[in-house]
Amino acid sequence: MRYESDKQPSRFGPPGYAPRVIDQGSVWIMVAAPTLWALHFVASYVVAAVWCARIGPSLTEPRWIIAGMAVVCVALIVWLATQAVRRYGGVFVIFEEITESSERGRDKFIGHVSLLLCILSGVAIAFTVIPGFVFGSC
Amino acid sequence: MRNLTLLTVPLLAGCAGRHNWLSSAGAEADRVEGLFWVLLIGAAVIWSAVIGAAVYAQRRQVDPGLEHQARWFIVWGGAVIPTVLVCALLIWGLVILRDITPDKGDLTVRVDGERWWWRVTYDGPDGDVVTANEIRLPLDQTALFRLTSDDVIHSFWVPAIGGKMDMIPGRETTLALTPNKTGNWGGLCAEYCGGAHALMRFDTVVMEPDAFDAWLAAEAAPARVAPDDPGFAVFRDEGCGACHTIRGTDARGPVGPDLTHVGARARLGAGIYAMTADNMARWITDTHAMKPDADMPPYPDLSGARLEALVTFLLSLDHAE
Ligand code: HEC
Ligand SMILES: [Cu+2]
Repeated sequence: MRYESDKQPSRFGPPGYAPRVIDQGSVWIMVAAPTLWALHFVASYVVAAVWCARIGPSLTEPRWIIAGMAVVCVALIVWLATQAVRRYGGVFVIFEEITESSERGRDKFIGHVSLLLCILSGVAIAFTVIPGFVFGSC
Repeated sequence: MRNLTLLTVPLLAGCAGRHNWLSSAGAEADRVEGLFWVLLIGAAVIWSAVIGAAVYAQRRQVDPGLEHQARWFIVWGGAVIPTVLVCALLIWGLVILRDITPDKGDLTVRVDGERWWWRVTYDGPDGDVVTANEIRLPLDQTALFRLTSDDVIHSFWVPAIGGKMDMIPGRETTLALTPNKTGNWGGLCAEYCGGAHALMRFDTVVMEPDAFDAWLAAEAAPARVAPDDPGFAVFRDEGCGACHTIRGTDARGPVGPDLTHVGARARLGAGIYAMTADNMARWITDTHAMKPDADMPPYPDLSGARLEALVTFLLSLDHAE
């Protein structure tokens, strides 16, 4: 199998070249998905708190806002996951150990970790949304 | 063998106890108990499977041909199945929590946690019925408890019937209790609230609905106090009425438990002592020996005929016609 990272140049480019934040070689992709979860978590609390304090005792409307934000966040996480697969060569289940100390080995490892974190963050966001749908009131 | 019996007897006695949440005396406790058994048995099965797999893996020769399958086994057994199970348990737990905190019931009881006793108010047919330290409930009806506190956080719990639920200053929380066995079940404060926390208890008496209605009517009636009752004279002279209310008299103090029908309660001092003349006399004269930190001043100078008259008067505040 060939990975795009095999053919792409490394992040040391010509002068003036700025590496993309989410691209092979950069580690930011690993924190991106958990950050989305954290943002969604905080925003959910803010929405629920403001709604309950200002508008009313019913959670039926804000839970749709929370769910809407969840859809956006999960969509972004899915995009991150595709990047982890395409640009980093990440796989869900690793069948051969990654032992080489090479750019490609590191990318594969980052891709794998990012992919797992994407899944974890998606599940965590679902766990944030579920209580709002079980409880109808503040 | 004998030693074993000696060891298990107290354990089994605990299971039949009036404070035991496995007594299944209420619909809400049954819900939680169902979850408990599923968790316990499920955990035992999963634990055995994991340990079994580990032992099996240790014993077996490494077979590179099975590596691929083994990795998928780890993905399913270690990630996918746990996620689905935890998700299902989360939803189940949330649904139970939702069901035991409804906003309607067959009757409403307001309970205010005080240090270190319980102010209880029923929504009676003719308005509020205020009492304290003893809760009576009709069999097979859902009582909705509206819980508050005006000092620190307490927690309201009748383990055999259901709960628990925190009582938070400045907030009202709710809890449903649907008792399905008559009897006298223990209740207690389940959140440390200061010195006498462990002595902040109450009886929960589950009655047939007819008996409950009769009890509530009797509890709603004012006390019958003869104008020349010598015990009431002592009560008045000592200033007990500054803190305690006896409906039907000029004693209207809001600080301590309502004493209108104190003699009809089975226990004294928030569910901790039998309601006897001796205990009552000691409660009044040596309050803090009975309940350290209790927010009532002792009256050590009361004695002889005056004390006796006061005790007789308090115990006469029952439901008898
Ligand atoms: C400063 C207020 C105050 C005064 C005065 C006071 N009490 Fe109390 N009393 C309380 C409080 C508070 C409690 C609850 C204590 C606890 O259980 O922690 C209580 C509890 C009681 C109880 C137990 C009630 C129950 O449901 O078990 C009795 C009986 C009682 N008081 C009688 C008296 C008598 C009789 C006097 C006068 C001699 C008196 N009290 C004076 C505050 C007061
Ligand atoms: Cu307490």
